[in-house]
Amino acid sequence: MDTLSRRKFLQLSGAAAVGAAAPLLTMEDIAHAAQSRPLPLGTPILIMVTLYGGNDGLNTVVPYTDPLYFSSRPDISYAADKVLKLDDQLGLNPAMTGIKTMWDQKKVAIVRGVGYPKPDRSHFTSMAIWQSGAPVSRLNSGWLGRWVESQEVDPMLAISLGSVLPPLLAGDKRSGSALPLGGLVIPTGTFAKDCQKLAKAASTDNKLMAAAATSMRTLFSVSNTVTPVLKMPAPVADDLPTVNGGNAGGESNLAQQLDVVAKLIAAGSPTRVWSVSLGGFDTHANEANAQAELLGTVSAALARFASQMKNTSRGKDIVTMVYSEFGRRVKGNASQGTDHGTAGPVFLIGDRVKGGFYGEQPSLSKLINGDLAVTTDFRDIYAAVLEDVLKTPAEKVLTGWKSKGQYF
Amino acid sequence: METDRLEIARLYHRFGFGPRPGEFKAALNTGVAATRAALLTPPVKDISLAAISEPKITDLGPRPDQKTNELIEFNIQLRQQVKELPLWWLDRMVLADHGLTERMTWFWHGHWATAIGKINFAYPMYIQNQSLRKYALGNFNEMANAMLVDGALQFWLDGGDNTAKAPNENLARELMELFVLGVNRYTETDVRELARALTGYQIVRSNGKVTFNSKRYDAGIKTILGSSTSFNGPAAVNHLVSQSDCAKFIVERIWFRFISSQLPVESAAQLEAAFTTRDTSKLIAAITDSTILSNPSYSIVKAPVEWFAGVARYLNLTPSNLKTSAQLLAYLDKLAQVPFSPPNVGGWPTDESWLSSASAQSRIQFAAWLIKQADLSALTAIAPNKRVAWLQDELGILPFSNRTRLALDGVKTNPAQLLQLAICSPEYVVSA
Repeated sequence: MDTLSRRKFLQLSGAAAVGAAAPLLTMEDIAHAAQSRPLPLGTPILIMVTLYGGNDGLNTVVPYTDPLYFSSRPDISYAADKVLKLDDQLGLNPAMTGIKTMWDQKKVAIVRGVGYPKPDRSHFTSMAIWQSGAPVSRLNSGWLGRWVESQEVDPMLAISLGSVLPPLLAGDKRSGSALPLGGLVIPTGTFAKDCQKLAKAASTDNKLMAAAATSMRTLFSVSNTVTPVLKMPAPVADDLPTVNGGNAGGESNLAQQLDVVAKLIAAGSPTRVWSVSLGGFDTHANEANAQAELLGTVSAALARFASQMKNTSRGKDIVTMVYSEFGRRVKGNASQGTDHGTAGPVFLIGDRVKGGFYGEQPSLSKLINGDLAVTTDFRDIYAAVLEDVLKTPAEKVLTGWKSKGQYF
Repeated sequence: METDRLEIARLYHRFGFGPRPGEFKAALNTGVAATRAALLTPPVKDISLAAISEPKITDLGPRPDQKTNELIEFNIQLRQQVKELPLWWLDRMVLADHGLTERMTWFWHGHWATAIGKINFAYPMYIQNQSLRKYALGNFNEMANAMLVDGALQFWLDGGDNTAKAPNENLARELMELFVLGVNRYTETDVRELARALTGYQIVRSNGKVTFNSKRYDAGIKTILGSSTSFNGPAAVNHLVSQSDCAKFIVERIWFRFISSQLPVESAAQLEAAFTTRDTSKLIAAITDSTILSNPSYSIVKAPVEWFAGVARYLNLTPSNLKTSAQLLAYLDKLAQVPFSPPNVGGWPTDESWLSSASAQSRIQFAAWLIKQADLSALTAIAPNKRVAWLQDELGILPFSNRTRLALDGVKTNPAQLLQLAICSPEYVVSA
């Protein structure tokens, strides 16, 4: 795995589906809808942050007092005086100062030992399981794609940043939309009308041809509503230091994605789910620096985003969830790295979140084949997010899994 | 006959990079059997390919120290080579007289997916590409053994860090999961044991030279897929390739990339039997000479490079001569597919992943940019009323739907716009 790759794992199963049965909307319908019904104030908004590659949970939330932690990975462990202490046993990776500040404000829930039954150590299978939300029945659709299908048709409802739609937002018949970072530039004038003729459904279309036509259709609907918004300046983060580094050192791609999200949320986009991502967490070798740099990027980008949103009327409505397809093996390998493992922490961030620890910290003395035991099923978190953030019964989306509340 | 048209269209678009002007119509006359036979028989010498000069890609040696003058020169050369490599390959895809070899090389690149972003040097990627071409239609066991000691693949999957003292599982896992057997056809213990067998390799980063250092090799007994012996790398690879699951997996991968992302594989047993000797050309012959090719349910979306190469072949464009070639790579990057830069070790995604609204937008712009640089006199010479039907045969696709016909009729007097809509239509973007 390329440690610098930001692109996504979309290997699986033609998962990003736009079905042939998608209803035909005119661009006027959607442009009108987006302008006439901005997201009502107070509607919760979910930001999904996917860390591709398998983030090493033990070096994210570090058990800095456990001797087994240090003896298992002497080359890549963080000493007690380096970590950002959360309590008397666990501390954050030293690079995660932004998230530590939000933790201190009780806005961060850290769910420990998250995974699913029979952990799979393949990036592709495991990410497919996390994104489908169906570890047992192995559905082809994403859990948020199924949520999209449970809602009224609206191409603005769930949007993924980047040109390739992740399986997370793919439904069987309808899916979320994909938005490239630069925004969409569409043809204009009479040629645009001819292009839109191509976007209509044809009775002879097979499933893929119908999806090709749909993609053209969504291009016109999404771009008409989104493009003007993208030209606006991003909300200002006036409480972040602007000297001595902090914001210096060049934009990361994650920060850019969140910048676009911030603008669109501030403009009242009727979007309830956003998906952003960062790759490169597959740290088989020379992990310490690489992972710290990535976690620093995530932490700084999320802190900046939260700060930007605080100055808008939407700041209190945003819930961010950060996850990866698996954690890594407890024992370090010979290359100052770690191989694929199992459970890892999930972060929930926002004013609506009840900050603190959830789930049991997997014990380093009770490993299963050298790997951490899963103590929380990710469906518990998904179910709570569906019920408390998206206000949708969880059971239908998660094939019967029920919410146990907590977190919010 | 409609079925003939479908089969010939699939032979051109899936087992090559699309027809050049006039080729499809000629193939309709000679028929499916003759078209297939020609496809499966690569010429002794491909005249158009022979005319492409090899890229100026050399071993640049280790990176000079920071803040030296050598570093500047080194970086300039490195950047030049990293850009030249994909353009050289795109030229081959677009200009080849005979499509199958380059198409198979492209398939194997996505299979043994290695990205230049981590390798950093163009030279090892160039060597890997030549290996993939050499074995593209050859014996898979020989290919797998060549890949075992391929510097780019070894470096990509941290092979040089895999030592007897503490194995690194990256290469071992992907060898089983993504290259030879397929997921769930081995245990976690098999992965750990295979990693031990693959210890001892060291790589020279700038040229991909792989050497074996017995001091770093774990000479002990390993148990892999039920067999216990002192497996070394080649023995372990031979052992994996000899498994019946290997035939199952390669058939699935060929199916996935050439026929359909939907399972099940039709006639799987016959296809696996055709691959008994691990001869890839026999598998391709079997899959193209079966009812699969005429079954209308197996449509597939052209990946961006395939779409581009098809358009460029029809328009007689040479990728490296486009103005500018940097712009070409930027368009492909927008569509998320640049040769030598797969997103991860699983290769590129498929089907609906290429059909986002963002891709639709990029494709429309990209098409306009290509058409501006092409000579459209052949299309212009056709009477406007006959252009749509003529284009179907030139592009080598099934008849346009009524929807697309209606859109094309609206611009039939404007050859550039007509062509732009035609190559962005669902009927061209999807191989029926």
